[in-house]
Amino acid sequence: MILTMSRVRILGPRHRLSEMVGVLQDAGTVHLTRPSAEALHPVPESLHRDEESRLREALENVEATLEALPVQDVQPEIPDAISAEDLRRWEQLAERLRRRAEDLTGRARELERRAVDLDRFLDLFRRFGDLLPEEPGNDGVRSWFLVLRTGGSDSTDRLRGALEEKLGEGFELTVGEERGEGRAAVLRASGEAARGIDDVLSGAGVEEVGLPTRLPGGASLAGATDAMRERRSELRDKVQRLERERQGLAAEHGPGLLGVRLAIRDRLARIEALRTAARTDRAFVLEGWVPEEELDGLRQRIENDFGDAAALEKIATEKWRGEQAPVALSNPRIFRPFEAVTRMLPLPTYGSIDPTPYVAVFFPMFFGIILGDVAYGLTLGALAAWLHHRSDADSILRSVSEVAGACAAFTVVFGFVYGEFLGDLGHRVFGLEPLIFDREDALIPFLGLAVALGVVHVLIGFILGAVSSVRDEPREAVGRGLYALMVVLVAVALLAAVRILPGAFFTPAVVALLVAFPVLIIVEGVLAPVELISTLGNVLSYARIMALGTASVVMAVVANELVGTVGSALVGALFGLLFHLVNFALGVFGPTIHGLRLHYVEFFDKFYSPGGEQYRPFRHVRSEDRAAASLDT
Amino acid sequence: MNDVFWLTLSAALAVGIPALATAWAQSKIGSSVAATLAEKPELSTTAILMIAIPETMVVLGFVVALVIMLQGGGG
Repeated sequence: MILTMSRVRILGPRHRLSEMVGVLQDAGTVHLTRPSAEALHPVPESLHRDEESRLREALENVEATLEALPVQDVQPEIPDAISAEDLRRWEQLAERLRRRAEDLTGRARELERRAVDLDRFLDLFRRFGDLLPEEPGNDGVRSWFLVLRTGGSDSTDRLRGALEEKLGEGFELTVGEERGEGRAAVLRASGEAARGIDDVLSGAGVEEVGLPTRLPGGASLAGATDAMRERRSELRDKVQRLERERQGLAAEHGPGLLGVRLAIRDRLARIEALRTAARTDRAFVLEGWVPEEELDGLRQRIENDFGDAAALEKIATEKWRGEQAPVALSNPRIFRPFEAVTRMLPLPTYGSIDPTPYVAVFFPMFFGIILGDVAYGLTLGALAAWLHHRSDADSILRSVSEVAGACAAFTVVFGFVYGEFLGDLGHRVFGLEPLIFDREDALIPFLGLAVALGVVHVLIGFILGAVSSVRDEPREAVGRGLYALMVVLVAVALLAAVRILPGAFFTPAVVALLVAFPVLIIVEGVLAPVELISTLGNVLSYARIMALGTASVVMAVVANELVGTVGSALVGALFGLLFHLVNFALGVFGPTIHGLRLHYVEFFDKFYSPGGEQYRPFRHVRSEDRAAASLDT
Repeated sequence: MNDVFWLTLSAALAVGIPALATAWAQSKIGSSVAATLAEKPELSTTAILMIAIPETMVVLGFVVALVIMLQGGGG
């Protein structure tokens, strides 16, 4: 349901405006808006401008430092108050820490880059070492260390051909096996041939590896390799030391920085709140929305702090329109996780209907009817329990886990209804029988169930539409009611035609339809027949419940049959299990998407009125989520 | 050609043609949605719905195919 709101006006002496804003922030229940009376002077936007820019600058500084430090899973230490002196001190500290953190990060990156370079050279050195029978000496013979990147043996042959053409027999080319970045090759030739060789290499697009001019560990490749390995390990140790120092800074100063960030945001929210006020020469006026149930508490709080000096006045409902009021959804605990489904669309407008309770009943039911398998339901339940355990209270993941839990419960229930445990495996192994019908065979009853659910769901939608518009738009309410009536009449006529209901119902239902039809056109206009046909299409759309359900059970049965068709029983069982896993993944994804679609398109369309403004009470910013939310406003 | 052939062919066409139409519609919607989400990620719910909407065609085709098979005694 949508919480009932009261519009309130708070009056008090002008010099105590700031104090009142503090009280309202402590109360944390008022959604502030600008006062509506035109005779009042709004508080100028420039009020506290200097303080605001100082705070924003400090906030930017602190945030940049928090980005540079690995601050995670730390409880913020929020200061009670933050003076100008504190702010300066924190800014200086933040700047110092950021410089230090950036320096550490930069150094660690540079060292890591050198270590990665060494990795690459080490690999190449090992490969060049394999290719050289003797270490390259100073006998007038020069070595080129090459990497042949593309073309396999063709490019090697081409290179060899080009070298033979240029140098005749005066060179030695040894090529290793293709690996990683390409083939390592060593070309040895006399120093005089260098110029010609360089031309050939650049013409063939061959990369020459520039070896360090001074090899560590002496002139030998093997000695150099050992020295480089040692150097690499030293570099990695240094990187770790730098990272530890960065983490130490984060652990020491993280809680304070997080706390001061929240305190700054809190103060900024207060400045914003001050600017929603209006003033006369002697008084201030604040206006806003308060949930009806919080009104007495707020009045009491103001009375305690201000006595007769300030007053809270409730503005009569005739003086405001429902569309202006912010919307806060409030549902019983059992329905609350499903608010996440409602919130995926824009909020409903104030005074319209919150569909959450209906979603909480029908969404998991549709899901269960489609998936309907005891084993799949238990698996989903286990996943939901795991997610519930891993997620924070009030997080979106917690809501998802609870919605998944409800879906899992319905899946198990309908699993027993259809007698399915991993498809027909339950029947084969434990003799599990369907409680009501076997949907693999009873296709028509299953289709009937799906369409009947569609009739009920669409009818509820029309009834809710009629109820929500009966006060402001009675004509529309009559139209919604007529659509509902006609859906019932069409259903009765069809059921009577196929003898599920007594045939005597057919004629009265058709006559009633013929009477209702012109009335519908008068009330809803000439497009009413199109809307009616679209409504019948909406009802038939629920056939997807049966279509997806049948596909799911057939896939499960196929998975079981795979066990017998593959030669080895073990391989067959593994293959079957894999197939079940795929079916389970599809079985979770499909019903979710289609369940949502049936709600958003077929059901909500009949009554849902989106466009409500979120209720955002002015209160202390004490957590990161709320900080982000307060900055959004 | 016996009746079973024609029944089976009709059922296959009843579900196959809407399936192709759905696929075509989804390909068009999918590319538009991808472009939209790149600019406005907050429209992801609408995007999912838009993609799921044409599937009604294939659902109805499936129902018609089922009716053909069952009424024709092929089921």
